Amino acid sequence: MTLPNPFSVDLDLRVSVIEVSDETHEYMVTVDWKHDRVGTLGIVGKPSVEVSSPPEFDGPEGIISPEDLFVAAATSCFMTTFVTFNKKMRIEFKSFSCEGHGTLERVDKGFQFTKLLLKAKVGVESEDLIPKTERALELAGKYCLVSNSMKCPTEHENEVFVEK
Amino acid sequence: MNVKEEAPPKYYPVKLVWTGGKSGNLIVEGKATIRTGVPSGGPEEAVLHSPEDLFVSSATMCYMNGFVEFTKKMRIEFNSFECDSVGTLEKVGRSFEVTKIVMKAKVGIGSEDIRKKIERALDLAARYCFIANSMKSDVSHETTIVVE
Repeated sequence: MTLPNPFSVDLDLRVSVIEVSDETHEYMVTVDWKHDRVGTLGIVGKPSVEVSSPPEFDGPEGIISPEDLFVAAATSCFMTTFVTFNKKMRIEFKSFSCEGHGTLERVDKGFQFTKLLLKAKVGVESEDLIPKTERALELAGKYCLVSNSMKCPTEHENEVFVEK
Repeated sequence: MNVKEEAPPKYYPVKLVWTGGKSGNLIVEGKATIRTGVPSGGPEEAVLHSPEDLFVSSATMCYMNGFVEFTKKMRIEFNSFECDSVGTLEKVGRSFEVTKIVMKAKVGIGSEDIRKKIERALDLAARYCFIANSMKSDVSHETTIVVE
């Protein structure tokens, strides 16, 4: 008999998008607990992800936590919004990478994310694309719907460089 | 926002590397890579986790973790837990925002006598979910407890 690990939870999360109208979209997820603090996060038609509390909140090492997902959601939204503005502005880039740093602090009502820092590095073909790419990054920050849905302020450090 | 001095902040770094189109690899050191993106064409992209999926997932996960935590503190046990959550993305001003998340949790228990305590653990989990508390979205909960 296998004893359940007290620090793991299997989560099965199914998300589907319901188009309510052009202006409203709904996202459905399902979470199924398996044991302890570990679960499988499964989304309809998408690969499942094993998730759990992080070690600082009594979870195991090496498994994606809700804190990771929170920071990841904003970072991934920033990227997809950046791509959208690039297309609108008819410019291209060669590479994009972004580090997202979320800060969780104790406030009056328990813990809360108080700050998010996104550090993006974008490689472009030539010098003349730098100002437009910087503008696309600025607009992506402003219209990123995920960070706009969060209470904490988001700071950006953008670096655009010519990639040989 | 009053930040209390005694608890040092915790940091969550993630790294995202663009892989083409509107897709990228999300890397949290030492953990499984999540392929993320917004479908913009190819069939392969349909399976990517979108930022909206991740946002709704993080709040749902945190609710479950809080529930597990409170049941341990209260020394009660449950047989199963599942939660369906729906996040609503709406136009707010000039941009979009996830304005609300409705969570429907279903908990299976061994006997009727712990029902009240499980309800209490679910209430506390909702109240202290720090991911939901970090969101502007209105997060509401519907809970069902069944004897299995």
